[in-house]
Amino acid sequence: MFDMLLQGAGLVASLSTLALVGAGLIIGLLVGALPGLGPLMGIILLLPYAITFPPVQAMGFLIAIYVGGSCGGAISAILLRIPGTPLAAATLFDGYPMAQNGRAADAIGIAISASALGGAFGGLILILFSPSLAAFAAGFGPPEYALLAITGLTAIAAVSDQSMLKGLIAGTAGLLLATAGTDEFTAAERFTFGLFELSDGFNIVAIVVGLFAISEMSNLLTGDDLLERPNLAIARPGFRTVMLVLTRWPNLLRSSTIGACVGALPGAGGVISSFTAYAVAKTFAKSEERYGEGAEGGIVASESANNATAGGALVPTLALGIPGDAATAVLIGVLLILGIFPGPTLFAQHSDIVGGIFLVYMLANIALFVVGILMTPLFVYVLRLRKVVLIPTVLLMCAIGTYAVGSSVFDLWVMFAFGLVGLVLRAGGYPLAPMVIGVILGPLLENNVRRTLLLSHDGLRIFVERPVSATLLFINVALLLCVAFFTLRRLFAERQSALVEEKA
Amino acid sequence: MTSSLVIGRRFAEWCSIAFMLVLVALVFEQIHDVLGPAGMAEGGPYDNAAAYPRGVALVLLGLVALQVIVQFVARRPENEDGLRLHQLTRPAVVIALFGLYLALLGVLGFHLASAPMLFAIMVACGSRQWWQMIVFSLAISFGMAWFFESQLDVVLPGGIFNLNIPW
Repeated sequence: MFDMLLQGAGLVASLSTLALVGAGLIIGLLVGALPGLGPLMGIILLLPYAITFPPVQAMGFLIAIYVGGSCGGAISAILLRIPGTPLAAATLFDGYPMAQNGRAADAIGIAISASALGGAFGGLILILFSPSLAAFAAGFGPPEYALLAITGLTAIAAVSDQSMLKGLIAGTAGLLLATAGTDEFTAAERFTFGLFELSDGFNIVAIVVGLFAISEMSNLLTGDDLLERPNLAIARPGFRTVMLVLTRWPNLLRSSTIGACVGALPGAGGVISSFTAYAVAKTFAKSEERYGEGAEGGIVASESANNATAGGALVPTLALGIPGDAATAVLIGVLLILGIFPGPTLFAQHSDIVGGIFLVYMLANIALFVVGILMTPLFVYVLRLRKVVLIPTVLLMCAIGTYAVGSSVFDLWVMFAFGLVGLVLRAGGYPLAPMVIGVILGPLLENNVRRTLLLSHDGLRIFVERPVSATLLFINVALLLCVAFFTLRRLFAERQSALVEEKA
Repeated sequence: MTSSLVIGRRFAEWCSIAFMLVLVALVFEQIHDVLGPAGMAEGGPYDNAAAYPRGVALVLLGLVALQVIVQFVARRPENEDGLRLHQLTRPAVVIALFGLYLALLGVLGFHLASAPMLFAIMVACGSRQWWQMIVFSLAISFGMAWFFESQLDVVLPGGIFNLNIPW
């Protein structure tokens, strides 16, 4: 592990890497603070720029956006009572009352300090556990990998905040979309409809930008506040706020642990972890701490948890090549574009890059504290930006960014089409992240399923004959049963409430 | 009268299901018409390029069938959430403008198409501060062009006039 970090230090110790991490943090905090954007959108929009750099610098830039974006939402939650990202929804409970009581600067300072400390804790988990997980996974064969890919997908569907069945449908549709292009085994072109541009399959950037960015912009357009400029006072937090967080170290440690553990589960993202940590902190709180009315501990819990989630989510991403959430799915996409394949082979063949990624993650969290505290007035100023300016700018960035990846106008139409698909799916209550993760995991799943069948001479018993694959199969079956159980329970509850309403 | 029409969740759910079914249908149509005649739809796991997509499509079909059952069985309150038709007008106009921009991008080129697109979207969003909008449109489109062309060496579409600025 220390060798890995030492090798990585060589790649990180340059002015350009530090500048990129700093720039990524500022952008991340900005996109996090602006309602409607968020860390995923920041990563998507800046991806064409990032892929022009070597892997560690590119990942440093994007991870810094991820880290900054996970924290930035707290600023708008505290000042505007609108969480910039869903990750900051739990921060709103105590952050906004604190601001109303004239302690906006303290609330923002606590949010930034807790985010930085929680994120650093997530980084420690990443550094300590991902090499062991990768070493364990190095013994995996095609059956294990095939089932691992399915586990990633079912886990993501199982924790979808909307319907689990819809999550599974979206994920399976993503797997199907990934089959377009040239078949790796036979070199036959599939589902290309004679279009040369589809011979390499759909451009992942076009899919992600379309699904998330275009549909999100359309969503913003349904609001009536496009021309409004929020009237905000500038808040200037101080470095002493870190002491307010450190005095609540049991809460900080507990919430960060929850965040990192939840993050490591594929699909369970920062929203789940921040609400869980908040609920646990409230349970453990002393009676004089009035949660929901401006308790500092509430902000510490939600913010440390959601930033620790980022570190946790990177564990399966790097060690297994299984994304923890939509943002890490895009990070996997970036690594693939740069010719790096995440998973155990990455740890064996490119330990310097892994070490570099560990270090840039830690660096981003340390810098988050300094940059966040010093530049809060700038972020508050940007919060005054009107949506009428934001929406066309983001749309132009979507177009130019997607075009820049492959210099292809065809990709722009793919983006546009997936934007429409994203709109319909979002309106229908389908989560979009499983679809992206399905597209990312599709080739991994197909290659390993077919290799497994080659190994077993076309029989399926191989999946239950090997201990690890049998365990993974059991987990998958359990997850699918969970999906079935919760779908039926929700259905039953909906029917009951509808019947009660009808009777009333 | 039309402004009171509500586009509800249920309608969007059926549209989503239609999309999934189209996806499945396309897979089977391609396997039948393209991969089958080319000899790619049979044989062992190595030769059969159609087996995996067919399997995934069948799983998707099964899941969609379950979702259809869920939708039929589920009872929804009469006053379910939805968007009124007039709320969708602005997104529809902006998406149409964005689609038009993409269509014109190859013909007019980035520099001629982008600033009018930004301006038109701001008008569609309700802004009427004409001079601010003109300055903003030009500044953003040229600013981004400078960044991508001079900093990232991306050659943006020049259109029929071959308009590319040597920054």
